[in-house]
Amino acid sequence: MRRVFVKITIFMMFLSGIFMHELFDISWENFRVVQPLHIICSILIMFFFLNSFIYRHIRRYFFIKKINSVEGWLLLLAFVLVVFSGLYLFFVGNRGGDMFGTISFNIHLFGSLVLAALFLWHIIKAKRQNAQPLALLVVILFSYPSVSYSKITELSLLEIEKKTGVYHSEDWTSSAKCKSCHSEIFEQWSNSNHKHMAGSNPYYMVMETLAGEVEGQEFRKWCMSCHNPSALSLGHPKTTHAMDGNFISNEHFEKGAKTLLNDFKEHGNFRVEEGVSCITCHQITEAKSKGNASFTLSLEREKYLFEDSKSDLGRWFSEKLINANPKVHKESYSKELYKESRYCASCHDEFHPQNGIKIVSTFEEWEKSPFNNPKDKTKHKNCIDCHMTYMKDDKFAPLRGTSTEGGVIKDDVKVHYFAGSNHFLAGLRDKEHEEQTLQLLRTSAKLDVAIKDGVLEVGVKNVGAGHHLPTGVADFRELWLEVEVKDKDGRVVFSSGKLGNDGNIEEGSRLFQKVFGDENSKPVGLLFWRYKTLLSDTRIPAGERRVEKFELDKEALYPLQASVKLNFRIYPQWVTDAVRKVFPVLLDPNVIELTSVQKEFK
Amino acid sequence: MKKILFYPIIIVLAAISTILIISLIIPPKDIPIYSDDKLREFALNKGLKPVPSSFEQLLKLLDNDPSNNMTLEKIALGEELFFDVNLSKNRKTSCATCHSFDRDLKNSGALVKMLTKEGSSVTDCAACHLQDQSGVDRFTFAQGDGGKMHPHLLNTQTILNASLAKYFTWSGEVDSVRKQSENSFLAHHKMNMRAEELEERLRENPKYAEMFGQVFKDGISLQNGAKAIEVYAKTLLTRGDYDRFLEGDNNAMTKEAKRGLANFISIGCKGCHNGMSLGGQSIQRFPLRGFAQFFEMKPNIEISPEIKIVERAFPFENSGGYLGKNNEHLFRVPILRNVTKTSPYFHNGAVAKIREAVNIMAKHQIGRNLTPTQIDEIVAFLRALEGEIVDYKKEQR
Repeated sequence: MRRVFVKITIFMMFLSGIFMHELFDISWENFRVVQPLHIICSILIMFFFLNSFIYRHIRRYFFIKKINSVEGWLLLLAFVLVVFSGLYLFFVGNRGGDMFGTISFNIHLFGSLVLAALFLWHIIKAKRQNAQPLALLVVILFSYPSVSYSKITELSLLEIEKKTGVYHSEDWTSSAKCKSCHSEIFEQWSNSNHKHMAGSNPYYMVMETLAGEVEGQEFRKWCMSCHNPSALSLGHPKTTHAMDGNFISNEHFEKGAKTLLNDFKEHGNFRVEEGVSCITCHQITEAKSKGNASFTLSLEREKYLFEDSKSDLGRWFSEKLINANPKVHKESYSKELYKESRYCASCHDEFHPQNGIKIVSTFEEWEKSPFNNPKDKTKHKNCIDCHMTYMKDDKFAPLRGTSTEGGVIKDDVKVHYFAGSNHFLAGLRDKEHEEQTLQLLRTSAKLDVAIKDGVLEVGVKNVGAGHHLPTGVADFRELWLEVEVKDKDGRVVFSSGKLGNDGNIEEGSRLFQKVFGDENSKPVGLLFWRYKTLLSDTRIPAGERRVEKFELDKEALYPLQASVKLNFRIYPQWVTDAVRKVFPVLLDPNVIELTSVQKEFK
Repeated sequence: MKKILFYPIIIVLAAISTILIISLIIPPKDIPIYSDDKLREFALNKGLKPVPSSFEQLLKLLDNDPSNNMTLEKIALGEELFFDVNLSKNRKTSCATCHSFDRDLKNSGALVKMLTKEGSSVTDCAACHLQDQSGVDRFTFAQGDGGKMHPHLLNTQTILNASLAKYFTWSGEVDSVRKQSENSFLAHHKMNMRAEELEERLRENPKYAEMFGQVFKDGISLQNGAKAIEVYAKTLLTRGDYDRFLEGDNNAMTKEAKRGLANFISIGCKGCHNGMSLGGQSIQRFPLRGFAQFFEMKPNIEISPEIKIVERAFPFENSGGYLGKNNEHLFRVPILRNVTKTSPYFHNGAVAKIREAVNIMAKHQIGRNLTPTQIDEIVAFLRALEGEIVDYKKEQR
């Protein structure tokens, strides 16, 4: 009887192992059951039967009956190799970082075929055997547990009036779960602006609430489609923030997404993670590049068994299953599309949902810039080539390392700092983020100064950015020239671009900015979506130079000392002042000097 | 040895296969699908009612107290008192500080005004949440005049639709809004006044002398103030998609919300959350099931069962140590209208999200583990209960 049982288990282990091979290409629903079945059968055989069986078999035939068999010994060798490679695959995995994983995988695959061949040879030589009953196998294969929560729906956020799909919170796998294998990327993301652009971002919360109040609560969906797609897809009417007793939680200053990790520990996926999470970007299947969240996001992905388990043991087991055979995991979370600029375009272009007026056109700017050069690959630069490449000493220094613990060493790991221009908010949490962003900002522009006929000419060239300078919400970005000219005696004869006592830049300064006006050509202020008429656009397109002229006093005594700085501030003072009325603990963003020139004119 | 190992494993495998086969063979339980009209009939038969949309109907419904009849002058006086911060010790707190909503019922631009006006003083939650028109402060626990915390850290309940209830406050020991407004004026952790002090403050304002004189024979007194507030509170009702659905508009509620309503009634939530207000009609024990256990085990087919050790009186942390009426876990059934606007939940605000609250209620009151779909449908229904405060004054103008 025991022999029958050993045979059934061996047969199932072997069959399930064979079925996992790419050649069979079995459906994912079956694969995810076959995989743990294979492991369970192996463990059963290993611990309960085979070892004692092998030991007794050898003892009986080799030592007592004195029968020597070459293929018998080969069989043992193959068995040991397969066992050890199997153990390695389960506990360490085939993550790509070390050769042992690949070797183990191949030994396990081909070794088992060799094992089977030797086994048959060994048996046929010895005696005939009975056929194995298949009943148990059939039962288990056909009655696998289904662990998927979602219904099949396609989620398109382009038309935000449309009711989006019927996903549940459970389908939005929390980013906290990714941490165990992708801890470095998780750390980078957790302090980045991409993580903090919904409930924990004071500027965003004020703007969304304002939009809801002024345009009607439905209008929040426009904001949420990019800032908070998970909540929007679940039909939440607005973005929420965490509370700490009776106070708003200080999540925004918090390093390493502590609140998120606690939430996940306490509630699992039952409480949805709001904002842009790992799977928001990594489950995008198609990007239409029109802006306003024109991407398709599908949460119907291939999950390994117990991936959604609520228990730690289940999760640990599923991680082992992924590591042992990570191909499907990789394929379902990463696509070639993610490297292209058109992918980013689905959110980094923005237009008014009703009248179609373009508000942010970062992708369009890039498309027309010399950075978009598909013919000459050496000059072609995608979004991620600047914004997801590690920087060191003010230069791009592609980071050599892994994106998964123990994974393949890559020459250019795409870092998830998402350095852009917002050094301020990311800097509240992590200095490394601030540093990355400042380094990127400093690569963007060059200054030159000249005096012609008593006119100071300052040239600003956009040398580093593949889009206008500044871009994004260009009405809320301040890039300006701070100029000071001193005469022979060191007296200031000209000055421009200083900050006033209230923190606002003084009148008459030269700002590189887009100024929005409403239908009556009055500045829109905070209500940027009311933009109808362009009052001015002094931004600098990619690769272009803009000259600002300052009239100097004709009687100034030469030699003149000109000092010109190109300053940047992420939010104007009046915007911060308004947001601070709601979030009294908000700090003032500091002014950053991107570059400067000092020059003497005789 | 071999027998010891062999049979248990065979038995376990056989048991698992049998269970799985049974689950495949048995068809899922049929939950009746109601047509819109059937569902409406079903709901109305179970005693669910829409909130009246006209002042006349409102009077018919709530003007039933001969000792305190509803007149327009009294409502106006109640409104004045409700929003007057002078009626608290430090002159900083009014009823509307905790039971917060925009006095301008059209609710236009409170945040814009605050952000753009120079020197405006509102810098707290009200800035963003006034537009919710929720009738609560959105705090975890109530804070009265001078920032004084509630001794039991109880969460503020909404004033909206409260007059439809039979019992008031978390324990349900108060039987009228009038009584509760007197309590609130006098409680040291709320308005922190004494009766004489309050009457003095009322006399400070000549407007009150005139208004009280008009409405009451015996003029200014704490009791009369509370009466006026009670009458005003009766006009603070909300109407939303749900009311329109009950009145015959099939398109008022989404499909999901309609299924939620059907679930709400059939699962048994309606048993306690009943009447026009969907709650407030009775005092019930909470938690009813599965609380005094040493551990909590979820029936899930998992690699290992999820076991949590629970050694507390509630399925959440009981900060504040409140145990309900007579310390017997007895609570007034909360009103569900506008519930989605009034997070956090339960008496001490320990549960932040509506989904979690629904799950706890189903598990501990009804004894059911709902599926994610059922929970989401019920939440969609609760969202349909959100409403705007009905502007009954509009008809008078």
